[in-house]
Amino acid sequence: MDSEAVKKEIIRQALQATNTTNARILIENINEKCFERCVPKPGSSLSSSEQTCLTQCMEKYMQAWNQVNATYIRRIQQEMANNSFSSSS
Amino acid sequence: MSSQEFTIDQADLNKLTEKDKAELRQFFSNEEHRSRIQSQSHELTAICWKKCITSTIKSGQLDKNEQTCLSNCVDRFMDANLATIKHLRNMRQQ
Repeated sequence: MDSEAVKKEIIRQALQATNTTNARILIENINEKCFERCVPKPGSSLSSSEQTCLTQCMEKYMQAWNQVNATYIRRIQQEMANNSFSSSS
Repeated sequence: MSSQEFTIDQADLNKLTEKDKAELRQFFSNEEHRSRIQSQSHELTAICWKKCITSTIKSGQLDKNEQTCLSNCVDRFMDANLATIKHLRNMRQQ
């Protein structure tokens, strides 16, 4: 491998690691929140209405994540422009 | 970054030119920033989900009220955050 190939491989592996971690955290949170919401009283098996709820909850949680992320990024950019985070102001 | 095993060894790293090293430093600095934002988004989504998605889940779509609530939740969380920082700054000056 030459320098370019080594660099590309490092970047590829790093991105994969970050994205895997990100997906793992998202799935953990979805499981926790949607189980809490959709299965309030666990029975002997998952009912079909619980399964429907889990699917919808998951889609909803992902949308919520995207919206929160977009709002958060917009706000950070706004505050950076206003210099709100600098300790001297 | 996670504990994933890198198959790149020291001999490979020694091949990196100064230019590529600089590029990698920049890449990791950007990634660190991106990671921090993503991790904060995970926390904020959990916090705001609890406050905004309160009715029974009947569809996989966010409704208008939930969307507005989520945006307000993030913005007010940031307001609260900045208010705390500001107050701490004042306390230090006294």
